[in-house]
Amino acid sequence: MTLGIDVIQVLLLIVIAPLLRGMIGRVKARIQNRRGASVFRPYADLWKLFRKEDLVPLTASFLFRLCPIVLFAATLAAAAFVPVLHASSLLGNTGDFILLVYMLALARFFLVLGAMDGGSSFGGMGASREALVSTLAEAPLLLAMIAIAIVSHSASIASMVHWTAVRDPFQLSPVHAFALVALAMVTIAETGRVPVDNPVTHLELTMIHEAMVLEYSGPSLALIEWANSIKLTLMFTLLIGLFAPWGIAASLSFFGLGIAVATFALKIAILIVALAALESGVAKLRMYLVPQYLGIACAISVLAVVFTVFAR
Amino acid sequence: MGVVEFAAAKTLASSAVFLFITVLLIASAKRTVSCIVLFAVQCAVITAQIVAMASLRHSGDAVAVAVMVLLVKVLAIPYALLRVSARLKVSPKVSAATTPAQSAFIAAALILLAFAVVQPYARDFALDSEMLAAATAMVLTGGFLMVSRRKALMQVVGLLVLENGIFLLALTTTFGMPLVIEMGIFFDLLIWVLLMGVFIFRIRETFAHVDVSRLRRLRG
Repeated sequence: MTLGIDVIQVLLLIVIAPLLRGMIGRVKARIQNRRGASVFRPYADLWKLFRKEDLVPLTASFLFRLCPIVLFAATLAAAAFVPVLHASSLLGNTGDFILLVYMLALARFFLVLGAMDGGSSFGGMGASREALVSTLAEAPLLLAMIAIAIVSHSASIASMVHWTAVRDPFQLSPVHAFALVALAMVTIAETGRVPVDNPVTHLELTMIHEAMVLEYSGPSLALIEWANSIKLTLMFTLLIGLFAPWGIAASLSFFGLGIAVATFALKIAILIVALAALESGVAKLRMYLVPQYLGIACAISVLAVVFTVFAR
Repeated sequence: MGVVEFAAAKTLASSAVFLFITVLLIASAKRTVSCIVLFAVQCAVITAQIVAMASLRHSGDAVAVAVMVLLVKVLAIPYALLRVSARLKVSPKVSAATTPAQSAFIAAALILLAFAVVQPYARDFALDSEMLAAATAMVLTGGFLMVSRRKALMQVVGLLVLENGIFLLALTTTFGMPLVIEMGIFFDLLIWVLLMGVFIFRIRETFAHVDVSRLRRLRG
């Protein structure tokens, strides 16, 4: 029974990922006084791309085709670590949060490799920028999760979520507050959202993610884009699970799961609106200011870890 | 326990965390306008805290203090500072001597220092160590802002944060000063900010900038 709900959780993350992206685009459009595309457009895009021809540059090696597949697989494996509706996960007993962080790192490594294999100068540029951003984002991401792991006396994400879920929602500890701020900042950098990277442009010299996928087409591009939206959903779910898991199903009853689905949808909707408002209100950072941004996140996450000493 | 008491107790328990976060964000903000807005947020947190205290202790004086904090610190002073910064027509940057990330690290270190320093004191007098640490951290960070920011306007913000810290310290250790003294301090503060606003204008009119570090050249 637990296995069943674990599989459903992973499938849910994968299936709603494009919808989440469509909804962010839609809310952003509404904020900017435009009508915006349908929220289901990302599904149509994926369907279209999967039926198209996969063009490979003449200079590319076998890696070029392999990278999107590894990227997708690693992101999928990472998604299997995160509890969504019930405080358990498919790979929860096999690995801890450190494995989750490095699954994402593995995915990113192959994305960078594929971008450089494509041979275009844009790919190389995007790849080196992505490498810089991810190197700097890794420390705050790990530190923030280490802080939560220390206070909850567990390295498994499922039990970290369970530990927060049974606590009093109003008893805010400084550790959680700092870790939340740091992790939210990292989420924006990791998923390439506005202050760090602009996800909607193909024609900027400062683009990061779009520069990397410029050479890709057809099913490979579909896999990359899908993996990217899964990563965004995963980070959102991680934020919800670690800092506001209340409402998550304690037992596998029909009623409990119904409440879990409703609260999860509500929290995701809040995060979507927050992200869309942020992206509409904030200008993109210059590339040289991104290390500053992540440095602040790093300071806050270090503070979170040190505060575990004072935690009650 | 009624809903009001419950909410008041929770506000008291969690406001220190919000104060820490505002302190960190003020230290790492890049523009003066965001610093001023964050200062207003910080004062709003303090207002919530005083209201919570007032409802727990059923004291009318505390309500009056809360109203004054709301009017003077959350509304009047930030409004005046925002107007000054809009009319100065100088660059919106804080022009700090340290980069935002360095400032964040320094503010984090100051918060930890404050926490370490107040531990024995809080234990001896049975006070809330988090709130005491937040107040001390605000005093330290206010001082840090004043020495590291070159803009005259940011010196005002730094001093206001410092004053907030002192106010909070008085609030946590002695549960607030007598109402008359509080009122005196608020009027002092308001007049001081107005004077400083005029003073900044005079600096800019005479030297066409508000960079405090360049005032050093005035030596004879």
